[in-house]
Amino acid sequence: MKRVLPGFGLSLGCTLVYLSLLILLPLSGLAFKSSSLDLSQFWNIASGERALASYRVTFGASLLAAMINAVFGLIVAWVLVRYSFPGKRLLDSLVDLPFALPTAVAGITLATLYAGNGWIGRHLEPIGIKVAFTPLGIVVALTFISLPFVVRTLQPVIEDIEPEIEEAAASLGASRLQTFLRVIFPGIFPALLTGFTLAFSRAIGEYGSVIFIAGNMPLISEITPLLIISKLEQYDVVGATALACVMLVISFVLLLGVNALQWWTANRHHGTERVSL
Amino acid sequence: MSIEICGVGKNFGNFVALDNIDLNIPTGELVALLGPSGCGKTTLLRIIAGMETADSGHVKFAGEEATHLHARERQVGFVFQHYALFRHMSVFENVAFGLRVKPKHERLLEAEIRRRVMDLLKLVQLDWLAERYPSQLSGGQRQRIALARALAVEPKVLLLDEPFGALDTKVRKELRRWLRRLHDEMHISSVFVTHDQEEALEVADRVVVMNQGRVEQIGTPDEVYSSPASPFVYQFLGNVNVFHSRVHGNWADVGRDVSAAPPDGEAMAFVRPHDIDIEHGPMTGGLEATVQDVHAIGPLVRVELAHASELIEVELTRERATVLNLAKGQQVWLKPRQVKVFAVPGSVLEEYGSGI
Amino acid sequence: MANAEPRWLRWALTGIALAFLFLFLALPLLAVFGEALAGGWRAFFAALKDREALSAIGLTLFIALFVLPFNVVIGVAAAWAIAKFDFRGKSLLITLIDLPFAVSPVVVGLVFLLIFGAQGLFGPWLSAHDIKVVFAVPGMVLVTLFITFPFVARELIPLMQAQGKDEEEAAISLGATGWQMFRRVTLPNIKWGLLYGVILANARAMGEFGAVSVVSGHIRGETNTLPLHVEILYNEYNAVGAFASASVLALLALVTLVAKTLVEWQMRKETEMLDTALTPEKVDQESETRP
Repeated sequence: MKRVLPGFGLSLGCTLVYLSLLILLPLSGLAFKSSSLDLSQFWNIASGERALASYRVTFGASLLAAMINAVFGLIVAWVLVRYSFPGKRLLDSLVDLPFALPTAVAGITLATLYAGNGWIGRHLEPIGIKVAFTPLGIVVALTFISLPFVVRTLQPVIEDIEPEIEEAAASLGASRLQTFLRVIFPGIFPALLTGFTLAFSRAIGEYGSVIFIAGNMPLISEITPLLIISKLEQYDVVGATALACVMLVISFVLLLGVNALQWWTANRHHGTERVSL
Repeated sequence: MSIEICGVGKNFGNFVALDNIDLNIPTGELVALLGPSGCGKTTLLRIIAGMETADSGHVKFAGEEATHLHARERQVGFVFQHYALFRHMSVFENVAFGLRVKPKHERLLEAEIRRRVMDLLKLVQLDWLAERYPSQLSGGQRQRIALARALAVEPKVLLLDEPFGALDTKVRKELRRWLRRLHDEMHISSVFVTHDQEEALEVADRVVVMNQGRVEQIGTPDEVYSSPASPFVYQFLGNVNVFHSRVHGNWADVGRDVSAAPPDGEAMAFVRPHDIDIEHGPMTGGLEATVQDVHAIGPLVRVELAHASELIEVELTRERATVLNLAKGQQVWLKPRQVKVFAVPGSVLEEYGSGI
Repeated sequence: MANAEPRWLRWALTGIALAFLFLFLALPLLAVFGEALAGGWRAFFAALKDREALSAIGLTLFIALFVLPFNVVIGVAAAWAIAKFDFRGKSLLITLIDLPFAVSPVVVGLVFLLIFGAQGLFGPWLSAHDIKVVFAVPGMVLVTLFITFPFVARELIPLMQAQGKDEEEAAISLGATGWQMFRRVTLPNIKWGLLYGVILANARAMGEFGAVSVVSGHIRGETNTLPLHVEILYNEYNAVGAFASASVLALLALVTLVAKTLVEWQMRKETEMLDTALTPEKVDQESETRP
């Protein structure tokens, strides 16, 4: 078919070639490599004691961080959209800091802040809370790097809520709490869930910020990406590949989940922006 | 330049947008493509412009094959429904665009471009807005800039997609007359798409009524209004009362003699509200009806009546309404002055038959 | 406003939000600079003037400058195809473009190691021809290309979809060639979105740690980027050195945030212009012809 606008073949062709060479080919290389393992070998590596412990740490900390962000992100988004106070725009811009700040910088900074002699750590340790070099430190680092997701997913949705809807609820006799729980919250819930999933999926793959604060004790505070690295450092390429495959499958599932959620949100709610990882 | 369209068809997936369209547009005419949304009129306009490719058929400009010419080579001026002004260029630059993108050896000198653009802006009476940006203009102003921009390249054909669609009623009427005058001055073949029958009847030399990808009728505004070729055209151009009817010999049981009536059988009779008389007493061929409501609307009085289970609308002049002095619930007799009868399409007849 | 929260609740929510953002964002930011200057300005500048630090800065800049043109060209091409045309498999393509966002950086590094490493698919061939990809700069460039691929396209696709095809079609019907249309109509319309994508891609390219770390080999003065340099110094308990380099990156992050905010304002202004363009009657009540 002839098209009026030029460049369709060229632009699509370039995109597909680039995507295939740079993204798909390398990823299929991983699948190829892991296919050299037989299933029981693969299973042994993927369900080894250290691997299982690392999943527990990674997923547990990521889930906790995503939940913290869901709660506080909702409050931050609400406050940034609905209320006005001095310095609001500055704060709004600052929310993206975790996207802009290299993860290694975040890692060493958080580790220093929460260490026993750090600005925060020195107030927490006397009351028996150790953050740095414990699983709790991982949660702190993951909360930092995934902080923008919930806020940035929710902001446009909260902006889009028509004031008439709240006025209608109020005029029908609903209290403010009832209005929020029954009218506003159901409307923003898909976006909240999307933000939560994005934050969770980013946290699972995170490496740079965590390794500095985690302490990296096998079985206790070792995350799966770090386990991959340490297997590589011991020249156990096969083991690293098997774990990477597990991570990759989980990433795919989460990506599909996010897409499904955004499709759902877009169909419920027009004008929702897509927020990227 | 004349435009000739032969057997043009276009599908979007399973949807038939255009079904074997034949159409001739003689040089210098202003033609309206009229129809409801989704009837294919915009698709047809875009095929003429070369923005869309027909699946079958030919487009000829001045007798020459143009089917495979690229939009860029057709020398067609296209005015978009939402104007499509270049939002980051001033009004002047918008109009000058077509002159500036010409190949070097054809390009005019800067002074000449400036003169041409200002002439065009004067033609559309907006030369005082040359330095503004599109976002600073009102809808009607944008529309005229879009027109000036299309005219700048001296097109052989001017195509307008719903040119007044996004404007409010008052501006729309003004621009309508202005377009007609402009067309008379320029003598360039023009085609515009509209879903507004009033607009088509008022502005165009000829009206092409389209429905579901087909041409229903082509004719002067008077022809399509007074002698519609199909029930669709009748209903689309103005209000109409539809009577379900039965034709016997040359007689439909609504109204009087019907010349050129379709063969015996189920039929539908169409009568315009202003083509019905109301009398207090019975008369031959009259229909008994009950007055339901009487509204005075401007110069007219609209009467709603019930005949059997059908609702009938009649428009009377104020004088006639005063003479009749109708009241709600009153029993009256109706007499259509002008009726057009169409056979119920075959499929409906068959369905009716099988139902017995 | 009648339907707002009571005053105490507003204050409480604002307080919670501020405390949360202070604890997690402002305090770490302050700490970077605080730690960097803990040994005084002299130690700070000495750490930055170190030969290895300078070479790390150089390599970081080189990788970013090398990667960005690819991002721009492919980002624009992908967005052009996706936003202006209909074709089968479009939503699959959009998902594939998102893929690099979802994959863990460590896995990305590993993937390239498996292909170009000594035991990898192309490993024997590469070593036979004496070409080093992993544990060398080419590998670091490749993983950075992988990681930053989505930024520009993701920014441009919704923007170009919202702008529609009308202006481009108008340009073509007025006789413009494809290149004229792109340069005079498309590019000015997407320039801010493009810049936004480039800013984000640049921040990521300069700051990437995990993926680059796997394929870099950590050769000092050769394959160390600034984030890797930070790690090495930190692990050597050279806190001032590590934070001096970290503060350069933090400064870069701040510049990114400022640039991003400015571009956002500009884009917002343009969308507002577009919005008024779509509802023409709201623009002004001026008379249609000369006043």
